[in-house]
Amino acid sequence: MKKVVMGNHAVSYGVRASEVKVISAYPITPQTHVVELLSELVANGEIDAKFIKVESEHSAMAACVGASAAGSRAFTATSSQGLLLMTEMLHWAVGARLPIVLTNVNRAIGPPWSIWTDQNDSLSMRDVGWIQIYCESNQETQDAIPQAFKIAEEVNLPVMLVLDAFFLSHTYEIVDLLETEQVRDFLPPYNPEIKLDTNDPHSFGNLASPDYYMELRYMIEEAMNDARSVIKRVGKEFGEHFGRYYDMVVPYRCDDADVILVTSGTVASTTRAVIDEMRDEGIKIGALKIRVFRPFPFKEVSDILCSTKKVAVLDRNISFGNHGVFYQEVKSALYGKTDIPIIGYVLGLGGRDVTPKVIREIADKAIKDKNPEPYINWIGVKR
Amino acid sequence: MSKQIKFESYREMPIRPMTLDNMLWNETGSWRNVKPVYDNKVSPCILGCPAGENIQHYIQLVIDKKYKEAWETIIESNPMPAATGRVCSHPCMGKCTRGDYDEAVNINAIESALGDMGLDNPGWMRESEKAKKKKVAVIGSGPAGLSAAFYLARGGYSVTLYESEKALGGVLRWGIPEYRLPNCVLDRVIESILNSGPISVKAETVVGKDIKLKELEDSFDAVFIGVGLMESRKLGIPNEDCEGVESGLEYLKRVNSGDNLDSSKKTVVIGGGNTAMDVARSALRKGSDVTVVYRRTQAEMPAIASEIEEAEKEGVNFRFLAAPKEIVAEGGKLSKVIFQEMELGEPDESGRRRPVPLEGKTFTMEVGRLFTAIGEKADLDGFVPEIDTEWDLIKVSGEFGETNSKNIFAGGDIVTGAASVVEAVAAGRKAAEKIIRIFIGEADPPKQEETEFGIENINVDYFTKSNRTLKPRISVEEAKNGFEEIFRGFDEQLLQKEVDRCFSCGVCNYCDNCWVYCPDAAIVRKDDRYEIDYDYCKGCLVCVEECPRSALSIEEEGK
Amino acid sequence: MREARIPTEELMGSGHLACQGCGATIAMRFALKALGRETILVIPACCWAVIDGTFPHSAVDIPIFHTAFETAAVTASGVKAGLEMRGDFETTVVAWAGDGGTFDIGLQALSGTAERNDDIIYVCYDNEAYMNTGIQRSSSTPVGSWTTTTPVTNYKKRPKKNMVDIMAAHAIPYIATASVAYPEDLIRKFKKAKAIKGTKYIQVLAPCPTGWKLSPELSIWAARKAVTSKVYPMLEITENGNKLTVWKDFEPTSFKEYIKPQGRFRHLKENEIEEIAKGVESSWQRLLAREKMLASIPGLDT
Ligand SMILES: Cc1cc2nc3c(=O)[nH]c(=O)nc-3n(C[C@H](O)[C@H](O)[C@H](O)COP(=O)(O)OP(=O)(O)OC[C@H]3O[C@@H](n4cnc5c(N)ncnc54)[C@H](O)[C@@H]3O)c2cc1C
Ligand SMILES: Cc1ncc(C[n+]2csc(CCOP(=O)(O)OP(=O)(O)O)c2C)c(N)n1
Ligand code: SF4
Ligand code: SF4
Ligand code: SF4
Ligand code: SF4
Ligand SMILES: [Mg+2]
Repeated sequence: MKKVVMGNHAVSYGVRASEVKVISAYPITPQTHVVELLSELVANGEIDAKFIKVESEHSAMAACVGASAAGSRAFTATSSQGLLLMTEMLHWAVGARLPIVLTNVNRAIGPPWSIWTDQNDSLSMRDVGWIQIYCESNQETQDAIPQAFKIAEEVNLPVMLVLDAFFLSHTYEIVDLLETEQVRDFLPPYNPEIKLDTNDPHSFGNLASPDYYMELRYMIEEAMNDARSVIKRVGKEFGEHFGRYYDMVVPYRCDDADVILVTSGTVASTTRAVIDEMRDEGIKIGALKIRVFRPFPFKEVSDILCSTKKVAVLDRNISFGNHGVFYQEVKSALYGKTDIPIIGYVLGLGGRDVTPKVIREIADKAIKDKNPEPYINWIGVKR
Repeated sequence: MSKQIKFESYREMPIRPMTLDNMLWNETGSWRNVKPVYDNKVSPCILGCPAGENIQHYIQLVIDKKYKEAWETIIESNPMPAATGRVCSHPCMGKCTRGDYDEAVNINAIESALGDMGLDNPGWMRESEKAKKKKVAVIGSGPAGLSAAFYLARGGYSVTLYESEKALGGVLRWGIPEYRLPNCVLDRVIESILNSGPISVKAETVVGKDIKLKELEDSFDAVFIGVGLMESRKLGIPNEDCEGVESGLEYLKRVNSGDNLDSSKKTVVIGGGNTAMDVARSALRKGSDVTVVYRRTQAEMPAIASEIEEAEKEGVNFRFLAAPKEIVAEGGKLSKVIFQEMELGEPDESGRRRPVPLEGKTFTMEVGRLFTAIGEKADLDGFVPEIDTEWDLIKVSGEFGETNSKNIFAGGDIVTGAASVVEAVAAGRKAAEKIIRIFIGEADPPKQEETEFGIENINVDYFTKSNRTLKPRISVEEAKNGFEEIFRGFDEQLLQKEVDRCFSCGVCNYCDNCWVYCPDAAIVRKDDRYEIDYDYCKGCLVCVEECPRSALSIEEEGK
Repeated sequence: MREARIPTEELMGSGHLACQGCGATIAMRFALKALGRETILVIPACCWAVIDGTFPHSAVDIPIFHTAFETAAVTASGVKAGLEMRGDFETTVVAWAGDGGTFDIGLQALSGTAERNDDIIYVCYDNEAYMNTGIQRSSSTPVGSWTTTTPVTNYKKRPKKNMVDIMAAHAIPYIATASVAYPEDLIRKFKKAKAIKGTKYIQVLAPCPTGWKLSPELSIWAARKAVTSKVYPMLEITENGNKLTVWKDFEPTSFKEYIKPQGRFRHLKENEIEEIAKGVESSWQRLLAREKMLASIPGLDT
């Protein structure tokens, strides 16, 4: 059923379709609608779940951790400060190997207070061990949820889905809503073998000596690596079920491009429009959207980018002191494979609009820029 | 003990950080530097009881309502708890740890309740062991003789019991009045003893006169002498033999045999022991105005304290620090007594302060009857010179009553001088046991180790203060009007109430505390004991500290 | 078979990593005897996170989920929800936290759970300081006490936080204090809590010989004297906060006796001890007054 819905509600519908059993969340702009609609769907019985209305995001994740450990599918949504408050429990979910799904609405971090989008909240969680997937449309924010559970439950790692504040969260788009019955084939009910079970008692997470901690971490890394193929397969399977295919990266007119703009999130859509415009002008330019940030798609990224002459990375985030995060990641993906220039641009922080004009500016600049700058290119800063 | 899991590769590890086994591989016993050990002690009451009754144990059995087993436990050391339960001076209670907390456990009353149960349940008495060939003569049927006869007969040895009187029991029979120990009770006590095995009685047979000791020695494999002290000591003052002056013992004998005596005269009893009390109170019951005259003070009186108290309550008068100096007779009949006033001097060998006359201080009393109760002495005629004596008593060499003659043993008052029922019982048993050991060629058991045990060994937090449960009694008014038994036995409820006060000093009573509190679950609770699993005991000693009764001790590690 | 005073099943086994005489361990042993196998524990950072043992071994024979320091209550809420959504309504879920994880860092999450009245038993084993990290003060540390962060030159001057009152303010169906010195009482309370739906809060005094500078064998002694000296009243609050029952049937003992063998109070001077003892008495009187007061209000929602 197609419906015009805001991104946040698309998230809620994705949760409904995934037969989530325990929801625990705490409201924060710009995620509040997710919580509100979920409350309603649980209250009216459309979702057969318990909604634990906690007193903080920290507790929201803790509740999810508990529920998931008990063998139930658990979901939460948050943003910015909330995600940061969760940090400790995000780690806990990973260490405990719990397939929790979280949707994070990208919002800038205070102070000063800002409710508008940028990626610093989610990207500051890059080393935690969550699989991270950046969504570009309302349709995707919904579709990503059953996929996320499928991936998570297979590799025993939690998945964070990310969408831009307002540009998606509050923006209405037509979404083909998933029906629970359809999804059940794709995503069977969660029934883990290992769980908190009085008939099979184990103690989870007790003290590990230096003898074993590393191995347990290594296993997380292994799971992360396994996730690459799982994510791809699940994206394909989803396509087979619902006609919408998803992959690690989305290249756009990259084949003969001399310059490729690397993007993520909603900036990718804008960028594609600019690419079309420039191609019409005969400029050989393409774009590469990185959809899955963790595990980082090294192979996909290097395969595509090694065939071009110059790479420009658009970061809606800043890793103070060392460029944008995507820039660092792309550079490391290409290390030793090519010596083409890789140039990083920081833009759109705190919800600053990333218009086609801004992207065109970057594209033009990128074509001209000879060498990667040792310093960070801040786009549009009033100097 | 389980083995510690060791992973060689991460591939062997569970997908989630979860446990696969318990911690038993971790033998925390190595943390310990001192170790707790279960170590029962001998309760002080047991050491206090001359017969060595296992008081602690039978009290626990009573708590468990195992009355038969409780009674059997007493019978192991004392065949007449119904009697001792009534008349014993209960030194056990003097040793009772509870006495330093609130009031000693009323062991005596518990014993008498059990004794009565035993009388009511003759079936409780086990059969004597199979008959043996050897036979023993026992002379005297007081507590010593009865006790010796009982343990010998129980062991299957045939006993012939010689008694000069018609009725058996010795002092129990003709000394102690019925209001303390009714004849009907005594009859049943004696009956139960006689029924316990092959005992034949030769009453009204005076050894030494009717039959010679030598004959007994020749025809029996062993002889036990328990003839007690038969004669009253004399005052040694003028006119002692005049009419109206009588030995207290004689008087009691007559009272106990039912003679209808007229005592309705002003009566004076000389002495401060049990005999004096019994004489005074008996005379009182016969309608007399009685005054006990004692040469020291109440504190030095050898009589059982409660007997003195009862006598006072009943209206017996006391005159302390006075001794008869002269009896004034008129026409061969007692009329007055002149008393010498005394004061207390230096302590004598008994530890009591010696009475010394106050020069020139005398007083005179009009007296209708005078009873002497200043002590009893032995009549050794039938036994000397064959048996060695000392201080007019039979001399024994060991703790089992061995006399100079190989197969002749002695015990009771005839050895100790005026003592107590329970000591006589103990002597009888010990001699019997020794005789049996000689018969079967067994060595003496090692001496019981005496452990120090006091209130500091009790974790008083586990107890609440309470008063001793007293035997119900008839009123003083009722009591002094006749010879009805004053104290009644405990019913089950009172019995349970009182046994509940016992600390079970030094002896595990399975209270579970140690097991309950062990932080390391290192104590294994078995049906009949606890075991410490030293593989895991960390030696915190919580168990030792929380044992209410010091039934655990501490040992240095490696000992 | 002789009847045992407390259930014989041992769900907490030997070989665990607690110090000698650890009260927290005794508390666990009793609690599990009361609750039985159909129980899941959620344990945050605290001594018990260590006592349980080292991966892949656990001294406890029921499922445990170890969680972050401040999340015991809500993780338990999550576990309970997770179980119920799997159709398991039987298993008792127990959050088992120290006083730090309860009075301090975990208070918020606990308040949330209690306010929602989630169906768990929350147990605070109270050893009156952060022991796991080496004896630092918590808001449960009693006035007068030394800890490594309240040195003798500046010992703890503020009274212990009244956590029971805080919980009572949540109108949850059951609140109790217990002491490891009174196993039958403790077990009764845990059994009672197990049978009640909603959030149950049980605060168990669990002496820590290490942290209290107390000889280990005196662990139970201290747990008992704390009660009889009125320092640690044994109480139950039922009927959603409307009924308070205080245990009074004991021989009172002195505060001074209670603190005497505890090194953490050794620095106190005579007048300081008296002052604190007065405070103990007035808290006790207040408690009794409140018990009376609540009982005197007719028609309180029960
Ligand atoms: C009046 C009185 C009251 C007492 N009250 C108590 C009391 O309350 N509590 C307590 O513990 N103690 C009491 N005693 C002391 C206690 O009774 C004696 O210590 C105890 O009875 C001694 O026991 P026995 O077997 O050695 O001697 P006895 O009881 O004196 O028995 C000796 C027996 O041997 C018999 N006999 C003697 N000579 C011969 C012989 N030649 N041939 C055959 N038979 C012979 C006697 O007839 C007698 O039956 C009391 C003593 C008296 C006198
Ligand atoms: C967020 C966080 N802060 C601090 C710590 C360090 N820490 C672990 S246990 C603990 C104290 C625990 O005290 P309490 O809850 O009283 O339990 P106890 O150790 O006394 O048993 C602290 C401070 C932690 N694990 N997590
Ligand atoms: S308390 Fe019991 S065991 Fe201890 S001395 Fe008294 S009677 Fe004997
Ligand atoms: S604590 Fe109780 S069970 Fe343990 S040894 Fe002492 S008396 Fe026996
Ligand atoms: S309580 Fe347990 S660990 Fe402590 S000393 Fe006793 S047996 Fe050993
Ligand atoms: S520090 Fe205290 S609470 Fe922690 S294990 Fe040791 S004794 Fe127990
Ligand atoms: Mg603590």
